[in-house]
Amino acid sequence: MSDWSKVTRPIPVPNQWTQPFWDAARRSVLELQRCQSCGHFQHPPYATCVQCVSTDLKFEPVGGKGTIYAYTIMYHTGDKRFAPAVPYASIIVELDDAPGALLAGNLLGSPYTDAKVGRRVEVIFEKLNDDITLPQFRLAR
Amino acid sequence: MWENRCKVAVSGVGYSKVTRSAEIPLAAHALTAVKEAVADSGLRLEDIDGLATYPELPATGHAEIDGISVVSVNCMMAMLKLPNLTWHIQVGTTNIGGAVQQAVNALLAGVCKYAVVWRAMHNPRGTYQNLPGAHATGAAQFTAPYGFGGPGQGMAVAYTRWLERHGQNREKMATLAVTQRKHTQHNPQAYFYGVPLTREDYLNSRWVAYPFCLFDCDIPVQGAVAMVLTTADRARDLKPRPAYLAGYGQRLHFEVAGRIGSLSDYMLGGSSSAKLTWERSGFSPKDVDVAQIYDGFSASVIYGLESYGFCKEGEALDFIQDGRIELGGELPLNTFGGSLGTGRIHGLWHIIEGALQASGRAGSRQVEDVNVAFVGASAPIVTGTTFIFVREPY
Repeated sequence: MSDWSKVTRPIPVPNQWTQPFWDAARRSVLELQRCQSCGHFQHPPYATCVQCVSTDLKFEPVGGKGTIYAYTIMYHTGDKRFAPAVPYASIIVELDDAPGALLAGNLLGSPYTDAKVGRRVEVIFEKLNDDITLPQFRLAR
Repeated sequence: MWENRCKVAVSGVGYSKVTRSAEIPLAAHALTAVKEAVADSGLRLEDIDGLATYPELPATGHAEIDGISVVSVNCMMAMLKLPNLTWHIQVGTTNIGGAVQQAVNALLAGVCKYAVVWRAMHNPRGTYQNLPGAHATGAAQFTAPYGFGGPGQGMAVAYTRWLERHGQNREKMATLAVTQRKHTQHNPQAYFYGVPLTREDYLNSRWVAYPFCLFDCDIPVQGAVAMVLTTADRARDLKPRPAYLAGYGQRLHFEVAGRIGSLSDYMLGGSSSAKLTWERSGFSPKDVDVAQIYDGFSASVIYGLESYGFCKEGEALDFIQDGRIELGGELPLNTFGGSLGTGRIHGLWHIIEGALQASGRAGSRQVEDVNVAFVGASAPIVTGTTFIFVREPY
């Protein structure tokens, strides 16, 4: 199991387009940008709907269950802040409620060898400080 | 077919020394490569009236200093003081292949006669890809907190998806690494010239970011390459045999900034660029005698072979087996060693090799009876461009 206790993660800096995502995460809710015209969820946030080009976009809650779309196991220790956790799984998750929207995360609570494409995961929340809470993932229970 | 096919040609080519670290300023490398390309054409610097490059430093978290870590058009203008310069450009969206394409367009438009394109790559001290400092802004706010740093990991995630969806085995990639290193032994300018690589070396090498081991990644180096482009009629009067440009394309697909790991982004990028190139040239994958496909990370070759149409999706690691990509094989691939052999100089070396093979100037690595040489000049996802060079105009 990767030891994350000694890792110092870079702190996300929200901007006016991404603030709602982080506000929701702080409340342990996963919200993604949703097109109010065609209903498509997308992530990362973008200026327009990637499906219908509407600019009428709002953040809406989505279910936290999904599958591992892709992953990598990091062994390189070039960034010393992450070196204590090596090897660790960085994963890309496609949520059941938001096909095509891809969220990055780490696979927490399991050995990195459990990361496999198609495996079921669910969101959990990792508080970094009073302002920022990271959505993360563990194997679905 | 494209009405301008075979109206522009590659003439001379040039190389600087490729070194692991920066022993001299990058500008000196670029200057050497450019002067060599001009001399190889039998031209003088006064003849050069067009300049184009893509001066990006792909290492993240390092300063872009002109002449030291990048070599811009301004830097080259200041060094060469070309008396007859009439045109220049730096491109943004299409990597170095886009600079070549813009030079082609300028020649067709008649706004210059002899254009030089160069790519100079710096290897900064310390870690090549640095994650952001204490804070992650922009697209990185959704990736860096999870330890996603440089493009290697972005490529690696798409590669696991490809491997597991298609039930494939990464050990088959050893064939690519070993074959390209064999080709490297015919390229004295390459970083790994004189350094053999065995299947066992590949299979026993350390992990970088699974599924990538050390030999799936090109080694960061300091160096530059350059080539001269001119109109076909002028090229015929120059010293080297011309390589005629039959067609080119650029990727037309873009989804979301900061989205990583999407295999379809690679495939749609590559197929959109290749489609333009096949249509403009009138050729198809079965007509290709030799291919150069960008290999900064080995998996790029998979996405290239499949999205350009050389094999079906999921089959690339089988396609490269059984000698098919060797110098005497059905589709000799990355005959100059690729980036895995030369070091990280980006795609201009792939374009140069495509031209050399088409003009019969590739020396001991020359493939026999080449008429059609294909080039995929960078990773198909974001900056992909494709080219076809031919020996005989048609």
